[in-house]
Amino acid sequence: MEPMDIVGKSKEDVSLPKATMFKIIKEMLPPDVRVARDAQDLLVECCVEFINLISSESNEVCSREEKRTIAPEHVLKALEVLGFGEYIEEVYAAYEQHKLDTLDSPKGGKLSGIEMTEEEALVEQQRMFAEARARMNNGMTVQKQSDPDRGFNG
Amino acid sequence: MAKADFKNHSLPSARIKKIMKADEDVRRIAAETPVLFSRACEMFILELTCRSWAYAEENKRRRLQKNDIAQAITRTDVFDFLVYIVPEEDLREEMNANDSLLYYYVPPHVGLWARS
Repeated sequence: MEPMDIVGKSKEDVSLPKATMFKIIKEMLPPDVRVARDAQDLLVECCVEFINLISSESNEVCSREEKRTIAPEHVLKALEVLGFGEYIEEVYAAYEQHKLDTLDSPKGGKLSGIEMTEEEALVEQQRMFAEARARMNNGMTVQKQSDPDRGFNG
Repeated sequence: MAKADFKNHSLPSARIKKIMKADEDVRRIAAETPVLFSRACEMFILELTCRSWAYAEENKRRRLQKNDIAQAITRTDVFDFLVYIVPEEDLREEMNANDSLLYYYVPPHVGLWARS
């Protein structure tokens, strides 16, 4: 038996959610049009391949600029290089919108919405650490009281 | 191509990152990067579907089939990277369909030879 080629397998295993993909596909078509099952699957595969393509090129752009992290501008450059320049405007707009959305979102962090300076944030952080330490210390005090029983078993 | 109204079907960032990371060469990915991929993928799927559908319509079908997608891929230069994932038989069908037009230009005397 050949050992599993894990790297090879991982590329095939990871796919995109079919339900979401199907919604996107259906949007493009008149309501009465059906899509063959194998055609749907092929479209999903094509999309994964598209990600691989853009991802690979983005990585190249990133290394050429001697950066370590693939950033939005690398992706935009990759799209242009690979002939998908038409997408750039919309893709950038989505990125800008996302930035706005995450600024407003309460999920942005526990302290988001509260404006404080870095010093104030540090003070707040120290206070939270002290609280946590105090909680932990109280817990340990309770345990020590029960220790004599454990010591008996040695 | 007409701009479609995107109803914000975003593809999950985690999944996109996983696909990207399957390539060993890919280094660190900034947190907001999958968002760009999500929109780019949406646009890509819309374009591929649109082109595939055009072929189905040409053939008066109300059902999108695999060979429609194969056709869109062979006809569109920027989709050349997809040639490797389309099953060979579907590609061959499409290439033959395009080649069959050449037979109309065969000179008459060759046709005579074939008959005799």
